[in-house]
Amino acid sequence: MKRVLVVDDSLSVARQLEKIINDSGDFTYIGHAKNGAEAIKMNHSEDPDIICMDMNMPGMDGLTALRSLSMLDKDVKVVMVTSLGGVGDKFTEALKLGAKNVISKPFEAGDVLQILREL
Amino acid sequence: MAVKFFGQFLVEKGIVARDILLKAIELQEQKNLKLGEMAVTMGHVSPADIDRAHRAQLSRDIKLGDLLVEMGILTLSQLDEVMTRQKNTHLYIGEALVLVGALTNEQLQHCLGEFNTDQAPYVSERIELPADISNSDIWEITADLTYKMITRMLGFPFRAGKCRAITAVDVDFSMAALDMSGDVEARYIISVSQELQKSVARAILHEESVENEPSEVLEDTVMEFINVVCGNIAAKASQKGRIINISPPVTIRPDAAGLAVPSGHRGLCFPIHIGENETMQLVLFIKD
Repeated sequence: MKRVLVVDDSLSVARQLEKIINDSGDFTYIGHAKNGAEAIKMNHSEDPDIICMDMNMPGMDGLTALRSLSMLDKDVKVVMVTSLGGVGDKFTEALKLGAKNVISKPFEAGDVLQILREL
Repeated sequence: MAVKFFGQFLVEKGIVARDILLKAIELQEQKNLKLGEMAVTMGHVSPADIDRAHRAQLSRDIKLGDLLVEMGILTLSQLDEVMTRQKNTHLYIGEALVLVGALTNEQLQHCLGEFNTDQAPYVSERIELPADISNSDIWEITADLTYKMITRMLGFPFRAGKCRAITAVDVDFSMAALDMSGDVEARYIISVSQELQKSVARAILHEESVENEPSEVLEDTVMEFINVVCGNIAAKASQKGRIINISPPVTIRPDAAGLAVPSGHRGLCFPIHIGENETMQLVLFIKD
């Protein structure tokens, strides 16, 4: 099963994604980082297959972390999960920095799983 | 379902691949000249003028066009001409996708129809605001999307009260705030009672009961609600060519005397009556 790391400063989003991921039968939730800097550390220590990452976080934001992750780890697949997905410039920047897709909040479980399964 | 832009919708639906979308965006970036580039192309200014204005812009919070006029480099009518030319020659993402061969014109029209249906729940409705509020279109979107997300995310039946100007806000049990910057500057606040906070948490966490949840989690659910609302406001504003940046949400704890509207700001309160006897308040502190 593919291992998924969630990066979001919101505890409630991490809880929602944990449930969706673990109930899917296809993926395993391996943990939660609260900002971009923690995400980079946990990517190194936990070696996830997929990272679901918010953009708007205190400390290191999601796009800054994405830039670093794309340089440090060519194998990990990053999907942005964000309320800013509908902002064209943010969406485009995320794809240019290497995100595989962008999921807008609020999200449905089916939308999240469809995108994760396509990776 | 959220406020989206067309390219995102096409990628999400699997109609266009990510790399093809990036190719179309690259084409847009080549074809859609920025204001300074367009002014140079039209012969109104020189590249050196634009450099000079960009340097002056570093220490000013002003749009390039306004600055070029202020510096006497462009006249108002020339600025108007440049902006009209930009608008008339703008290559939209759908057109760019046709040009790169990702869609035919017929497919584009069909996809636009599907996109409009998908986004119909987020078409803005008029909200009555006090007179002489600047950027009233943005604050109408703000209130309207807050109402729509109360239905969409929380599932609460509600009645929107009349918006009023305020000088202070009464303290409620939980208050979550988020700062907006860019083309507007404002603080967005949602305040809720203890019972409403639990209702928000049940809806966000999809749980029957939240009685055993720590206060940190309950507060977080209200913050996440405003984060999603404001992200969607930024998306809706971007469709109208307006830039809104949002900061991460915070929980605020004013003292019992209440929260005064900061100087240099206008205060607006939108009461939202929920169920029989609960009221959520949307409060905006808008910088003049």
